[in-house]
Amino acid sequence: MAKVFIYPATSLILSDLVARFGHKPLGAALGIRERIQTAGVDSPPLQITPEEPKRGLKYAAVEVPSGVRGRMAIYGPLIEEAEAAIIVTEADLAFGCMGCARTDELILFSLRQSGIPILELEYPTNEEEGIRFVAAVKKFLAGLPDGGEA
Amino acid sequence: MKKVRIAQLSCGAEYSGVQKEIYEAAESVGAEVFFPDIALADVERAVKKFGLDVKSADLKLMIARALALVEGKVEADGVFIGTCFRCAEAAIVRNELRRYIPENSKLSVVSYSFTERTTAGTLLTRMEALTTIARRRALLAREEQTGITMGVDSGSSTTKAVVMKDNEIVGTGWHPTTEVIKSAESAVSDALEMAGLAREDIQAIGTTGYGRFLIGKHLGAELIQEELTVNSKGAVYLAGHQRGAATVIDIGGMDNKAISVIDGIPGTFTMGGICAGASGRFLEMTAKRLGVDITELGPLAMKGMGKNVPMNSYCIVFGTQSLVNALAAGSSPADVAAAACHSVAEQVFEQQLQEVDIKEPVIMVGGTSLIEGLVYAMGQLLQTEVVVPPNSQYIGAVGSALLASGFIKGE
Amino acid sequence: MAEYTPDYVGTVTKYVFVESPSMTPGELALRAYEASEGVLIKETCFGLQVTGEPESVDRLLEEIRSFDPTHIFVKDRGFPPGDPRRCRANLGGARPGYLGHEREFRILRYITRGLEELDRREGDEAEPAPPARGKRPLLDIKRLQELIDTEES
Repeated sequence: MAKVFIYPATSLILSDLVARFGHKPLGAALGIRERIQTAGVDSPPLQITPEEPKRGLKYAAVEVPSGVRGRMAIYGPLIEEAEAAIIVTEADLAFGCMGCARTDELILFSLRQSGIPILELEYPTNEEEGIRFVAAVKKFLAGLPDGGEA
Repeated sequence: MKKVRIAQLSCGAEYSGVQKEIYEAAESVGAEVFFPDIALADVERAVKKFGLDVKSADLKLMIARALALVEGKVEADGVFIGTCFRCAEAAIVRNELRRYIPENSKLSVVSYSFTERTTAGTLLTRMEALTTIARRRALLAREEQTGITMGVDSGSSTTKAVVMKDNEIVGTGWHPTTEVIKSAESAVSDALEMAGLAREDIQAIGTTGYGRFLIGKHLGAELIQEELTVNSKGAVYLAGHQRGAATVIDIGGMDNKAISVIDGIPGTFTMGGICAGASGRFLEMTAKRLGVDITELGPLAMKGMGKNVPMNSYCIVFGTQSLVNALAAGSSPADVAAAACHSVAEQVFEQQLQEVDIKEPVIMVGGTSLIEGLVYAMGQLLQTEVVVPPNSQYIGAVGSALLASGFIKGE
Repeated sequence: MAEYTPDYVGTVTKYVFVESPSMTPGELALRAYEASEGVLIKETCFGLQVTGEPESVDRLLEEIRSFDPTHIFVKDRGFPPGDPRRCRANLGGARPGYLGHEREFRILRYITRGLEELDRREGDEAEPAPPARGKRPLLDIKRLQELIDTEES
């Protein structure tokens, strides 16, 4: 089972397909879950404390806005952990954890820099594209270590 | 009491770790923050309608939520707009919405750019002003002072007290703020003495400024209110411009306020100032360095040419250094005084006046409005004649006394 | 500074979305309850949220997926179900993630179609390539009209 970073990290479709075809999707929920389940200073709603943008300095310089650094504190470790990535480009209207375009650019750059296998594609807009989308994802995942049918 | 509902339009607050601070600031002034409910189709429609084609989805969400408020689909008592400091994309959205909402609705807006260091304390006065506007609209509509009332403005540098009787100022008191209560007591007794009145004659008291809670409790004040709404009221009252639009600028000892006022009620406002280099404190330092009294700084500056001295720093340390260098290089005290005034005006202009829509008349208030060099510099920057009403240094105290008359029994 | 003590430590929560002509979220919930074996199930407007030990959740999800494999979709969730910090009732509106779900929900039918077609072609070697980045053909005007009509209907 390979750890596959999904972009958008909040994507239902990617999360589902990666798990369906036998791998572990790495998305925003994992980072949030870790924070929600860790005791510490109360910082609703996401348990992201002002310390997180400071941790994000590992991934973005101090002149980068705090929201970008805070988000990178979630995604940076997941990107480091990832063994592969599936990217849906032009994924506009991904809100919340993916709602900042500057962070999203940095995530994509970090993934492309990391040297892991990456599949880049677009959301389908019709059935024909849907077939090609699922086929491409399936084929990519099957080529990863321990890949195959779930 | 029913909570004041403040709609939050923001991007990055949760991820900067400051959402909790926003919640706390709202809660401490009896307000609650909420996120206007919209559907995905609303986002797509709103972005198209508004016409600002940003890339970040959360900024699109801000736009859609703003439109839902303006169109009356979601009800709120006030609006808080917040985005990450140093984000250009967000700053554009924040500024445009800050302008758009009050122009198209009756909602008051406060906007802020935060970092991970933003605390509830920083946001408190802004949230309090939003709740005051929502809760006390009737009180803020008061245009005339009645009976005998007193207002006390406990500022970071000075404490001012004013006694008013039948719509006239009959006594004033002014003391540097050292010990908050002591300074207030001194200002109050001076004002009472000048008015020829005793404490028992006062029918209602209002307090404002940094020390408002402490002083308010000590004096048993009927009204304790933040300086944004109080100063707006005081400014248009003293300037005789209670109806229509106006802009109030108050360069204080510690921070500055720029308020866009409609009918005496703040529409949008900013508060802050990055450092003391853009405050009255810097002018005090300049006067001391030049060996003149603060009251002489203004006339001195009017004689000088600011352009002759390079000075433009929001940091009081660097600003003072420029000042020392200029004097060492042989600049005249008059030129240095003018440059210091220009420097402060420029900082306020660049950092804060961009955040509110400047509508004439521009009214300058607070102690610094007596420094005519500063008023002149501000007028030059804004290309308008700046109004300084009589007793402008007592603005907060006058506003408090005026509003306090709404609390006289039988009123 | 207030202390934070987490609930549900060590559990996982997953969303189950059902976009099916033959199964409503209510029916899905009924069948899921029967197979739950201690896993917490919460019915929602789009399907379910399931919470429990990771292994138990995986087991249940495998069973749930089998009800209607090409119409049931699963995703991780960071929060446990009904958490007041994410609850619509407390926030005054939907959390941003909900709108993201709405966005993807619209195209689930194409994914369903893809899954069905791949099942049908099982063992077929030739698989279509993904759409190339930046080379999307212009939308046919008739197709655009169709899309508009379906969106409006």
